[in-house]
Amino acid sequence: MYDLIVRNGTIVDGSGMPAYRADLAIAGDRIVKIGRVEEAGATEIDAEDKIVAPGFIDPHTHFDAQLLWDGYAKPALSHGVTTIVPGNCSLSLAPLKAKHRMKLVGMFNQIEEMPLKAFEEGVVWDWETFAEYIQRIRKGLAINVAPLVGHSVLRLWVMGDDAMERTATDAEVTEMQAVLRECLEAGAVGLSTSYVDMDERLQPVPSRFADAAEVDRLASVLGEYGRMLQIVPEFYDADLTIARLDQLAELSLKYAIPTTFSPLFVNADNIGAVDRVMARVDEQFLRGARVWPQVQTRPIDISFCFSVPSLLFIRFPGWYRIMRFGTHEEIVATFSDPNQRETLIREAKLYEGLWPRLILRQVTSQANQPLVGKTLAEIAALRGTTPVEAMIDLSLEEDLEAHFLAGDMGHNDDDKVGSLLRHPRVHIGASDGGAHILSFSTYGDTGYLFAHFVRDLQSMPMEEAVKKITADTAAIWGIPERGRLEIGHVADITVFDPVQIDRGVEKFVQDVPGDGHRYVRDPLGIETVIVSGAVAWSHEHGYGDARGQILPGECVQPADRIAAE
Amino acid sequence: MSSSVLSVVRKSILPRQGDNWASIAKRELAELPEADAVSQLQSWNLHVFMRAPADKGSARAGNPILPSDVIFVEPPRPAE
Repeated sequence: MYDLIVRNGTIVDGSGMPAYRADLAIAGDRIVKIGRVEEAGATEIDAEDKIVAPGFIDPHTHFDAQLLWDGYAKPALSHGVTTIVPGNCSLSLAPLKAKHRMKLVGMFNQIEEMPLKAFEEGVVWDWETFAEYIQRIRKGLAINVAPLVGHSVLRLWVMGDDAMERTATDAEVTEMQAVLRECLEAGAVGLSTSYVDMDERLQPVPSRFADAAEVDRLASVLGEYGRMLQIVPEFYDADLTIARLDQLAELSLKYAIPTTFSPLFVNADNIGAVDRVMARVDEQFLRGARVWPQVQTRPIDISFCFSVPSLLFIRFPGWYRIMRFGTHEEIVATFSDPNQRETLIREAKLYEGLWPRLILRQVTSQANQPLVGKTLAEIAALRGTTPVEAMIDLSLEEDLEAHFLAGDMGHNDDDKVGSLLRHPRVHIGASDGGAHILSFSTYGDTGYLFAHFVRDLQSMPMEEAVKKITADTAAIWGIPERGRLEIGHVADITVFDPVQIDRGVEKFVQDVPGDGHRYVRDPLGIETVIVSGAVAWSHEHGYGDARGQILPGECVQPADRIAAE
Repeated sequence: MSSSVLSVVRKSILPRQGDNWASIAKRELAELPEADAVSQLQSWNLHVFMRAPADKGSARAGNPILPSDVIFVEPPRPAE
């Protein structure tokens, strides 16, 4: 008898080969048979009319904190994602000395828009080293985690506050190399760094004080393990992005490591720039370098209210300053003061086209309820005012809890995004899962890929889309025994309905520690999600078994892991 | 494989220890008077030039260049 059998499904095995009908049997955590299975299973799942695919892998997330209170990384797992990569953009939660905890919380709050209160009430700080952090998140882990080490954090560990001021000495880089080795030994999948991010004081993050020699020496350690280097380049400029990918390519060739940069957005005004970046990517791949651009599937939508800072306003210094550094009372006072209000309105004219199309998405008062769903242009017309003034007035009336949606802000050219997504040298990712939780939902990008680009637009066949987010991702990141439905592979499997799969509507829920809110989307059309041979989520029963692993280390040394526990 | 020829892209450098506008100008644009060279560099590198300066107490005070910056040493190339 097998432990679990998925019967009558259509197997899309991750290889890109045509789908076929078969049963799939699991014993323990492994796939042991694909074909006609006559024997019975302790548990059986009927997958008639459903796709049976490898579990999806999300290579760009920031679930570092959420994993401390939620081993399922909800709702990512319910969308069919069985492996996540946290620790991107130079930020991870380890290695981290106690004295730097609040510094890192500040950076997560600024860059990834994670609420301070979630850290205060959801995190028990009982680790310092990377190994201790891994040990900590392993408890109740239901989703597989391939964690990156953040370069900014590594610098803080070795250099303290000097990490935010200067280049490292030779001795300090040598120590960073040793600490990075320890992290990789403890299960890290690679190193992340950033060339753009700012900390909570709006000063460059520590990784930006590293010179090229430091990055080179850290890459040499990655080379000892063949592990990934992820960067955030100056993605707003093609020449800068090309310079960075050239830098990555040299490191990739010198140390035989994979590298990836994210994000790469395509907008109406930068199509030529994206073409130039992709031409350079092609050239570097032809040299034998691995420089994977990450492209997200969803268009950019940003929600905001004035009770929390939003990166949407980073281009408006007056607005951003008061959102970022002002108290609730100070923001209300600023909006109420005619002179300060006038100054803000003047600054808002820099991008006059933005405000009329903002949509009021949520209010608390009954009086404004009829306005929900209307644009600021419509509301302004009703009130005989301007869109910006309507936004300020509504915010005051709702005690800063009026929520607005800036929809379709970019990355929304279906033809161009579709052709990028199917490009053989593009890595589908950059979801930012677990971050920006008060700005947009980072969940459901895979459902959107299948619903929009496979089913509706037919930009790529189902088999190719599955391959891109399973086998390709596992190969790019060096994650063995996953990403394909093959006998002997670990049974990470997503069963879904190809007609129904999609992302649900974005909704605002209160499920973050500290009574916090976030935007999420429910999965549509996902039937069952299996991690390491056990049902971790099903449409019928919700969340289930927790058999998540730390990748890539643990999957190749299970005996060592069991001994350690 | 690695012998493939790369097309020419906009020329840039990565800063050396202690670099500022003047030191880069002297090294990369030696044929120009220093003031002109600095001015050119700044105009080609607005991503650095427009950056808010470091605090007065900082060792970097007055120098916006970070050790990790890409510095262009020529103007943007015309579109092909």
